[in-house]
Amino acid sequence: MAEVVLQHVMKYYGSMAAVNDVNFTVNHGEFVALVGPSGCGKTTTLNLIAGLLPMSGGDIKIGDRIVNDLDPKDRDIAMVFQNYALYPNKTVFQNLAFPLQMRKLPKDEINRKVQEAAKVLDITHLLERKPRELSGGQQQRVALGRALVRDPAVFLMDEPLSNLDAKLRVQMRSEIKRFHQDLNATIVYVTHDQLEAVTMADKMAVMNGGLLQQYDTPAQVFANPVNMFVASFIGSPAMSLVPLDVATVDGKTVLTSAEGWNLPLSDANARKVAGASSRKVVLGARHSTIKLHKSQVAGSVPSKVYTVEPTGDITFVQAFLSGAIVNISLPPTASVAPDEMVWLEFDQERIHLFDGETEMALRAA
Amino acid sequence: MTTLAGHANAPRGSIPARPSILQQMWTSRADYLYVLPAIVVMLIVIAYPIYYTIELSFFKTPPGLQLRDKIFVGADNYTAILSSEVFWRVTINTVIWTLASTLIAFVLGYGAALALHRDFAGRAVLRAILIIPWVISAVAASYIWKWMYHSDFGIIGQVLVQFGFTDRQPNFIDNVHTVLPSLIVVNIWREFPFAMIMIMAGLQTVPEQLLRAARVDGASTWQRFWHVTFPHLRGVSTVTILLLAVANFNSFIIPWIMTGGGPSNASHIWITHIYELAFGRQRWGVAAAYSVLLFVILMALGYFYVRALSGNEKEQGA
Repeated sequence: MAEVVLQHVMKYYGSMAAVNDVNFTVNHGEFVALVGPSGCGKTTTLNLIAGLLPMSGGDIKIGDRIVNDLDPKDRDIAMVFQNYALYPNKTVFQNLAFPLQMRKLPKDEINRKVQEAAKVLDITHLLERKPRELSGGQQQRVALGRALVRDPAVFLMDEPLSNLDAKLRVQMRSEIKRFHQDLNATIVYVTHDQLEAVTMADKMAVMNGGLLQQYDTPAQVFANPVNMFVASFIGSPAMSLVPLDVATVDGKTVLTSAEGWNLPLSDANARKVAGASSRKVVLGARHSTIKLHKSQVAGSVPSKVYTVEPTGDITFVQAFLSGAIVNISLPPTASVAPDEMVWLEFDQERIHLFDGETEMALRAA
Repeated sequence: MTTLAGHANAPRGSIPARPSILQQMWTSRADYLYVLPAIVVMLIVIAYPIYYTIELSFFKTPPGLQLRDKIFVGADNYTAILSSEVFWRVTINTVIWTLASTLIAFVLGYGAALALHRDFAGRAVLRAILIIPWVISAVAASYIWKWMYHSDFGIIGQVLVQFGFTDRQPNFIDNVHTVLPSLIVVNIWREFPFAMIMIMAGLQTVPEQLLRAARVDGASTWQRFWHVTFPHLRGVSTVTILLLAVANFNSFIIPWIMTGGGPSNASHIWITHIYELAFGRQRWGVAAAYSVLLFVILMALGYFYVRALSGNEKEQGA
């Protein structure tokens, strides 16, 4: 096991930078999720770490070796692919044995290692089957097994759960998490599903447009998103973002809407917006931090309900606010109807403020 | 709600008895009507000729006689064929021609497809050039090669002489020993692009992730081919070989135009021989008997073809 270090990693396709100056360090035994929308460069980054693509610039270190020019097989990595990539003409046993045979290990050692891995993953009874005779979950376990037998320094996983159905995905999610804990494995895990990243990873690297947006623990990324992209990508339902203007009313800083209402800011928040590059500011709030009132209370702003979505233990309400849609979660007992006028109250301690021009989070100076 | 659920379950208990096959045919009578014209045409252009050929194979048709005055001879035509020396000569030629053409064309096409699958400058041009033999007319190709093999003016002979491999121009297609291999070379040249195209299409379907997985697992280029690509192409390879085999078994143009089966039957294969018997010597009955034998052999090949195809489906469907 070892750490993985990416320094100024670049990957160009023509003049398009698929991966643009990405830097991060995966510590020994850490589970890092690369997360972002399609085309954000996360899979390319993983393939660069694996050595399946040549880099355009920068350095990748695995352990204490710079591996830039090493073949995938010499990088001491194992990879798990989205559609498992099991050899269809080989049995499960032969699939697990393949990387060891390529390493020219003696037969009895191969046999022992395959049996061990099969035992860990509970697939001993499947060893004589062909991949097509297995369910999706079983195939995924075999793919994990093929990575496991190698005893690699780093496990690279490319959306390993996205081909599974929803129920199995939740189950395999905890199995992979367990796998990580039991083996103390270093894992780099690519996913487009922020929920997977948040639930499994020690750290997450949020990527967009080839750029690393934020690299931190899921809790930090959730609580302190650095910009509007991260804020809207992490969390479900997404953080509501309402573009507003800064104004001063009676010597107090307020956010003002074209709809004609003002939202007074606390002193701390007023200091944050003072640092904005223009008067345009975006107000961000997560669904659970917004209170919904049936009548006006101090500091609340008027809004109109768009949809009401009961999910059982939480009812999600979408409401229009200054041209944007705001998500609010309510207890299932709440009775709200579409098109009803309501008043929303924001928790000044927990709102996020973003610069309307740069889209970066505003921090207290 | 409960009554609704009970209602929805009701039909499950009382599945009606399966209608008899006649009833089924009657309910879909319109469908039969739609395919009727096609069936009639098929009967006229396929079934009747097959029947007539089988019938004719039991008759003798002396050249002086009208075809309708044919004389019934039982299985004489068959016994005559099987006991004739020419039959065995032609059969051996056909086997050599089919096996050599099919296997060598397949291996060459396979190799060309693998070479062209990699990305390099000029790949598209090279691919277009390699397909030329397959798209030009077989008749034209035969005449071109006939000239290239010519014993006085042929370019191949001249090159051999110039480079000192031989003193005088070899007589490729007028020599009983070299004529069949020479024709096989032309045939391979003409049909290896077909194998190449088939294998190239197959190569596009090799999952990229499998090749990457094999690379991470430490497989070399050759090992990736042997463990991933080759097994993946097994289905398309089987089909290609069978199609080539059937086409070669039925070859006519190249041997007929280049040599007409000669010299002394050395390049006769079944089809050219049947053609000569029927249209050259008017021995319709013997030619028909030959055709029936050929038909049986090709049906057997067709059976394997269908089995190979359905075998693939089973593998991919499961």
